Amino acid sequence: MKTDRKNPKESENLARGENENTSESNNNRLLDLFEVDFVRQGTSRRDFLKVLGFSFASAAVLASCKRPVLKALPYIIQPPELTPGQALYYASSYYDGHEYSGILVKTRDGRPIKIEGNALCSFNKEGTTARVQASVLSLYDDARLKSPTEDNLPVSWEIIDKKITSELTRINSTGGEIVLLTSSILSPSTAKLINEFGARFKNFKWVQYDAISYSAVLEANSICFGRQVIPDYHFRNTSVVVSINADFLGTWVSPVHFIPDYISRRKPDNEEKDMLLHIHFESGMSLTGANADIRKKIKPSEEKILLIDLYNKIAEKTGGEIFPGVPYREDLSELAGNLIESKGKAIVLSGTNNVDIQIIVNGINLLLGSYTECIDLNNSLNIASGIDSNMENLVNELNNGTVNALIMYNVNPVYDYPDSNKFLAGIKKTELTINMTVSLNETVGRCKYECPVHHYLELWDDSEIIPGQLSLSQPCINPIFDTRSFQDSLLKWTGKSTPYHNYLISNWEKTYYPHSAFSDFRKFWNESLGNGIFSYKVPERNSFNFNKEGLNKVMKSSSNVLSNGYEIIISESVSLGTGLHANNPWLMELPDPISRQCWENVAAVSLTDAKKLGLQMGSLVKIADGLILPAFIQPGQTEGTISVSLGYGHTNSGPVCKNIGVNMYPFVRISERNKMYGFSIDKPDNTLKRKQLALTQEHYSMEGRPIVRETVLSKYKKDPSSGNEFHKEFESTHKTLYPDVKYDGFRWGLSIDLNSCVGCNSCVIACQAENNIPVVGKNEVIRRRIMHWIKIDRYYSDNPDNPLVYFQPLVCQHCDNAPCENVCPVSATNHSSEGLNQMTYNRCVGTKYCINNCPYKVRRFNWYRYTNNKAFDFNTASDLGKMVLNPDVTVRERGVVEKCSLCVQRIQEKKLQAKLENRRLKDYEIKTACMQACPSGAIVFGNLNDRNSKVSRLFTDPRKYALLEELHTLPSVGYLTKIRNDEKLNT
Amino acid sequence: MALLILLLVINIPVQSIGIQPKDSVGNNPGMLNAENLVRGERLFFGLVYQDNKSINCAGCHNTRESDTLNWNPDALEISRKYLDKTTEDLNRVLLRPSGQKMAQVHKGFQLTTEDIILIKAYMDRFVDIGLKKNKPVITNLFLFIIASVLFLFSITDLIITKIVKKRWINYSVLIVTTIFIINTLVIDAIALGHSKDYAPFQPIKFSHAVHAGQNGTDCIYCHSSAPYSKIAGIPPENVCMNCHLMVRNGTRSGATEIAKIISAFEAKKPIEWIRVYNLPDHVFFSHAQHISVGEVKCQECHGKVEEMNVIKQVGDLSMGWCINCHRTKKINIHNNKFYSEYIDLVEKVKKGVVDSVTVRMVGGTECMKCHY
Repeated sequence: MKTDRKNPKESENLARGENENTSESNNNRLLDLFEVDFVRQGTSRRDFLKVLGFSFASAAVLASCKRPVLKALPYIIQPPELTPGQALYYASSYYDGHEYSGILVKTRDGRPIKIEGNALCSFNKEGTTARVQASVLSLYDDARLKSPTEDNLPVSWEIIDKKITSELTRINSTGGEIVLLTSSILSPSTAKLINEFGARFKNFKWVQYDAISYSAVLEANSICFGRQVIPDYHFRNTSVVVSINADFLGTWVSPVHFIPDYISRRKPDNEEKDMLLHIHFESGMSLTGANADIRKKIKPSEEKILLIDLYNKIAEKTGGEIFPGVPYREDLSELAGNLIESKGKAIVLSGTNNVDIQIIVNGINLLLGSYTECIDLNNSLNIASGIDSNMENLVNELNNGTVNALIMYNVNPVYDYPDSNKFLAGIKKTELTINMTVSLNETVGRCKYECPVHHYLELWDDSEIIPGQLSLSQPCINPIFDTRSFQDSLLKWTGKSTPYHNYLISNWEKTYYPHSAFSDFRKFWNESLGNGIFSYKVPERNSFNFNKEGLNKVMKSSSNVLSNGYEIIISESVSLGTGLHANNPWLMELPDPISRQCWENVAAVSLTDAKKLGLQMGSLVKIADGLILPAFIQPGQTEGTISVSLGYGHTNSGPVCKNIGVNMYPFVRISERNKMYGFSIDKPDNTLKRKQLALTQEHYSMEGRPIVRETVLSKYKKDPSSGNEFHKEFESTHKTLYPDVKYDGFRWGLSIDLNSCVGCNSCVIACQAENNIPVVGKNEVIRRRIMHWIKIDRYYSDNPDNPLVYFQPLVCQHCDNAPCENVCPVSATNHSSEGLNQMTYNRCVGTKYCINNCPYKVRRFNWYRYTNNKAFDFNTASDLGKMVLNPDVTVRERGVVEKCSLCVQRIQEKKLQAKLENRRLKDYEIKTACMQACPSGAIVFGNLNDRNSKVSRLFTDPRKYALLEELHTLPSVGYLTKIRNDEKLNT
Repeated sequence: MALLILLLVINIPVQSIGIQPKDSVGNNPGMLNAENLVRGERLFFGLVYQDNKSINCAGCHNTRESDTLNWNPDALEISRKYLDKTTEDLNRVLLRPSGQKMAQVHKGFQLTTEDIILIKAYMDRFVDIGLKKNKPVITNLFLFIIASVLFLFSITDLIITKIVKKRWINYSVLIVTTIFIINTLVIDAIALGHSKDYAPFQPIKFSHAVHAGQNGTDCIYCHSSAPYSKIAGIPPENVCMNCHLMVRNGTRSGATEIAKIISAFEAKKPIEWIRVYNLPDHVFFSHAQHISVGEVKCQECHGKVEEMNVIKQVGDLSMGWCINCHRTKKINIHNNKFYSEYIDLVEKVKKGVVDSVTVRMVGGTECMKCHY
């Protein structure tokens, strides 16, 4: 597991699979440095005089050196709502075709710089995901399309509009088919507009397409209940959750919506000390598996057998119909017993995009009475509505030449459609092709017309994520480039001159205003826009009827054959999602929460298989033709399976993601009318070459030290401090000759509940956005120079074949007895009277003593200047990318140490606000970036001097401990022990 | 050796900016020859007598850079304004000005059209060459070099040449020059990067003395975000226009300067003010904290702005300058409920253990109060 320190050039060689004698080349390189050396030649008297002359000359230059003249340009007419230097928040919503969140956009002097969750939005509360946090950087992406083009040549909107309108009219007059291909559309106003647009044509079709499809869930519900919806899963009402390959905490459907619900049932500090039991079956290791109480390994091909067996076991006890089936390799009766015990409070989930499997899952949930308390078909999630077969038919039609015009919006089928060549051949046969997208991607340049659309922070829109729960999007900045929203383009091509903004308002006046209690529409609109949301009660639809036919058919059809070879699982990446945001350097450098590796996708193999195939970490393994990936030895991976994530391998989506990793979409298969995210092979080949992986954490054992402390529910019920026995022991040994330091006024503290943290990585990007943390690139990550101020350490324990997983967010511990402070020769790091471990960049000389003396390894060193440096060509290298920087936080220079400041800029801001308002600070008023972004509320910040503050109460919790407290560093960051549910099921 | 490299790096050759000849000068390119230019210059400087009276344009309109405020537009400004205009325009403004103030000062001018053509031809040159620079006076650097030479001489003389017989002369020269050199170095090193007394010329000759002093406009009227935000704010043009919609003529400045703001507002162009008070990026400073919470008067840091025609940086904005105030400035913890959080401190004040609370006592001298 352990690798030596390598310089970047060397790792490049390794990446190319070249083996060279590295130590020799290293020496040569070192010697090169000294070749142009003055030292060897000796110093002559002449040199001395030269130095003398130079010093006089430079003294003269220095004496005349002037600071640059800075200009200050005021507004011509200042907007009344704007105070220069003060943040202004706009309520808006995020939707990229795959993920939704209600958000607040923080703007400073007209620039959006940070995304926060909208606490009023009941869908996600204040929580956000890493991708939502990072989306603000995509606004300032230089790879965005900057103007409309025709045949890849820039044209004006007037010309393009004229040409498109006339072509559409011509095609329509001949009765030609016009197809609109979009990502899933959440917006009711846009949907209405699309329908109006389509009504003008004789032959119009609207196809929605999702790169990562939930088609099977939609179709299964359509077959079973006659409703083509993704139901909402209410984890807060459940007692038992059985999930099979459904990573609902990491990627499946909408983690940001599920995490708070799930976590609310994972906290045992309620009266009954009751906790949700979570059993997870999966092939690869996912966030959900890592958080489950019991995790079982399964091959994808076994899933159907398991579900049929489970159905039969439950049906046996509840008196349902039993179907013939092969029993699963393990006895499921206890599991079934548990589910029946919690009847009405149990959910069974499957993440597999297979209609048969989803129908069986529906059948089981029906037997368990999960509808509608736990699974809500009425308040369904509109997150995705693409049906795989529709897209399949469209591509066939395109190839048959029956489609005359294809208009695409926010899709990238050349990248993410499994058979992209077929799609490309199809659009070549189409007369009129129009592509509308925000940023450069593989599909851009393949169509006749490119009509670039606004970034979501530049446009007006609405969304309806759950029927009756609406939210608005509003522009927070003027369009940066010559772009136009999709809806405005449609309106233009419909021949209407009204902007979409007006269309949206009039639609809301007609459709939603009558549902409100307001007497005046302007008031209603302003209120909704200010809150960002509006909800009304949708009349309950008739109760559903379960159509058993579908289930009968599925059960009677033969179950799939087990393969003896290797099964490849293609899954969504927690960082990159569908790959839409791959050019976002923050996300590219965000380590995967499980593998802790970034800048690449890897083939996760199990320990046994690695041994069998002779694979090491980073060994290049050939899985299929054109699919060579570095291996990642993943504890907990099912034997005989390999997991690879999507989103990488872009060829034309901008400089950051170009040729990074491998695109897995071409390996997605269409089978039984659904996209199958996986395939099987006989055996992968070890190419005997190796590549160095950008790992941010290489060690995964706690080496028997109580770093993450945990207990089980049964012990917790008897003694809440169970698992935390060391705490008392260490506390008793803390003796000091020095008097206790007393903090008057404030003493800031941070509490992290390890039982709530699911490891979703949202805090990492929130911190990066808030604190201007640079991206360093793959080579620097390999050299362990990643700059993240908060990292989520992942540990394994127990059996390496199926380990228990722990997540531990690690920030600067702000020790009262800080080892770093004592060793700084220039006192650049010292302690504040509020308990903060201060880091002063302008004083730091970069000795790195503090880094070496920090037992938590939370300090980061700026090895290079990452700003305005073309060697680090990420967001801070260009003027556009630098617009995202938070003006309240210093951009660090080369040669200084930096670390978590507990968001001191937010502390100071709120303190000032309280002073200005002549009041005391309120608890929960100051929120650090990590705390605000956390969807599970695991992080709590506050004043430890205030006995009533939430963080003080958590610090007195028997579960509280400090990391490495035996060192007597007295951290201001406390952790709460993790609890696993061991009740009911003791297998 | 490292020093040598450092010096090499510092000693970047300073490129001199060449004066580019302009293609067309004025509307009468035929008039442009050396003789006519001299005649124009003489007219401008009032060296040509007309009816026993000379008009010295340069007396009011500067031809060289000046460090005192001259309300009248300088030659460069006029030449820029009239570069693309005809001689008739200049003629009309010079001889029959519409403005009250200009009519007063330009009264009784007797210039022929030819004179004006010559003056214009002369003035047009300023667009290319700019105003004349003042010759540098003897600076510290000059003294520093003399002192260094003296120092080197005496030390060589003492050890090698021994020309000066009376050794005490050499010793005293050595002592004096050493003190001078060290003193200069220390002072200059401290001031390096500071810009105390920085008073750049602004695109508009805006006088705080007129606005804040004579007219008594409150600072907050224009710098309206100072009590609420970290930035005091430069007034947006619409705030200027609140008054200047009506006030079009200044008592001393006439219409020229006010016309600039009006035309900028009408053309929707921002005025490119030169920032005077510049803090480094690693310093966080909030006006709201100081003005609204600390109740510091603007003048305490910015000096008597209401007496300044040209705004000048008063403090050196060094960290010592900030910290000295934070050490001594007293705060009234009973005035603001926020400070009731400091239980011990409140208790101490009550008991009379401390007679007053300074900013330092509530952590005002800690690093992360300003640097983050």
